[in-house]
Amino acid sequence: MPANANPDSLREQPAPYLPPPATQRLIDELYREELIEAREMALEEKVRAGQQLFESACRMTLAGIRNQHPEMSEEQCLEILRQRLVLLRRLEETS
Amino acid sequence: MTIDDVALRVAEALGAAGVPFMLVGGFSSNYHGIPRSTKDADFVVQLSAPLNEAFARTLGPEFESEPQMSFETNTGTQRQEFRVSGTLFKVEVFRLSDDAHDQERFRRRQGVMVDSRQVFFPTAEDVIIWKLRWARAKDREDVRAVMGVQGDKLDWPYIEGWCERHGTRALLEEIRRTVPRI
Repeated sequence: MPANANPDSLREQPAPYLPPPATQRLIDELYREELIEAREMALEEKVRAGQQLFESACRMTLAGIRNQHPEMSEEQCLEILRQRLVLLRRLEETS
Repeated sequence: MTIDDVALRVAEALGAAGVPFMLVGGFSSNYHGIPRSTKDADFVVQLSAPLNEAFARTLGPEFESEPQMSFETNTGTQRQEFRVSGTLFKVEVFRLSDDAHDQERFRRRQGVMVDSRQVFFPTAEDVIIWKLRWARAKDREDVRAVMGVQGDKLDWPYIEGWCERHGTRALLEEIRRTVPRI
């Protein structure tokens, strides 16, 4: 393999970021609780909850849009919400 | 009852009790960004003692608090939990910490009306700074979403300054590079 096949491999890489220890302990604790709760849930319950939770999330985003654009009509705010969901797909495609 | 009903009811009760608060976590990134499902409503409150049972009663009979109303947990984090019976929903109440950025995001929080109730959210910049520090996969996605939506409206020098202090500047740039130009 030529020495310059992957020149980036010879560059010094910054250390990957790790949260502060206290934050990491809290993250681990919350994750553990989340796993326990998820294990206790029935599959149908998870499917039902997913739809309802997404609708709630949309209502909160819509509240943000209304506050950021008080001059807009309800229909225009809904259009911005639709555009954000399109943006979500674009972000997923480019991640 | 939906999770946004739960969050708004707690916000209303905190307001009525005169407790300074802000709604953080998934709710704050939904508010500033793109909808993502969450079953937790996370609050930060400025209190020296935990919320008491009288407060829990004002939330209504569906809300169940821990038997001991306490802020302490295994990790030493100061948080309190309420559950809503018959649902998956959980309300986490974190005590405002001494951390410099926690103090600053609380000071800069914005009061807005949501369904005729006053709710306080951290600014979009502070959502990004905080979530970069946690850096879980969902936090990174939330950061991208808020950056993608708010774009040029963000106060970038403010974000960059805190990220320098937190050691998250490289992560900020890494995520920023992946946000498509629209």
